[in-house]
Amino acid sequence: MSLNPNTMENKKLCLALYTGSVDKLTAAGIILSGAAANDMQVDIYVLLQAARAFRKDIGDNPEKLNMAENQDLKKEFLESLKNLNVKTWVEFFKEAKTITNVKIHICGLAGKVWGGEKLDDFIDLADDICGIGAYIQSAEEADINLFI
Amino acid sequence: MTPEELQNLNPTKTVDARGTACPGPLLEAKKAIGTIGPGETMEVLSADEGTKVDIPKWCIKQGHEYLGTIDENGYYRIFLKKK
Repeated sequence: MSLNPNTMENKKLCLALYTGSVDKLTAAGIILSGAAANDMQVDIYVLLQAARAFRKDIGDNPEKLNMAENQDLKKEFLESLKNLNVKTWVEFFKEAKTITNVKIHICGLAGKVWGGEKLDDFIDLADDICGIGAYIQSAEEADINLFI
Repeated sequence: MTPEELQNLNPTKTVDARGTACPGPLLEAKKAIGTIGPGETMEVLSADEGTKVDIPKWCIKQGHEYLGTIDENGYYRIFLKKK
């Protein structure tokens, strides 16, 4: 068990998830799995590009997601993941939620940028819509902070 | 434990994660550990090179006892005892 020595609660990972690219979302899912295996609490704040990926009509549909850097590598990347029996980014996120306490917060502004106003506009992984104040507070309290 | 002792160990639970790449084996171990009792042993089968580093580190963090690894030529058998 990973405990914070000050609070004796499970250690906390705060992830500012900015990316909307399939490769970085997959990396986030893999890191999230490691946190889940170690019983960490996880707070994910879905910012700008990531909020688009969280839209119900996009999710883990690779046709609608780009690579972070080299678009020419997308086909090779996705085929490799399939051959290696690696989950999609949405599947990683879903599985982590069944193992540990993962809360996924959609940034209200980011949602609006991509036409999502209500929680129901996003894939069912999202727990709530929040403002940046909640992110800063979570980041301040977290044992690990990541920006992806 | 010595390789001979590991070979003779009859674990309470065997998790076959050979069909998955990282982080599959670690997650399979995490899910399976909840199904055995304290003091019972578990074996994780993995063909992923990283698992033989991941599982011992995970054991230390979680308080489980890492017992050792057998290299089976193509996959690993990783043994641990639940705290």
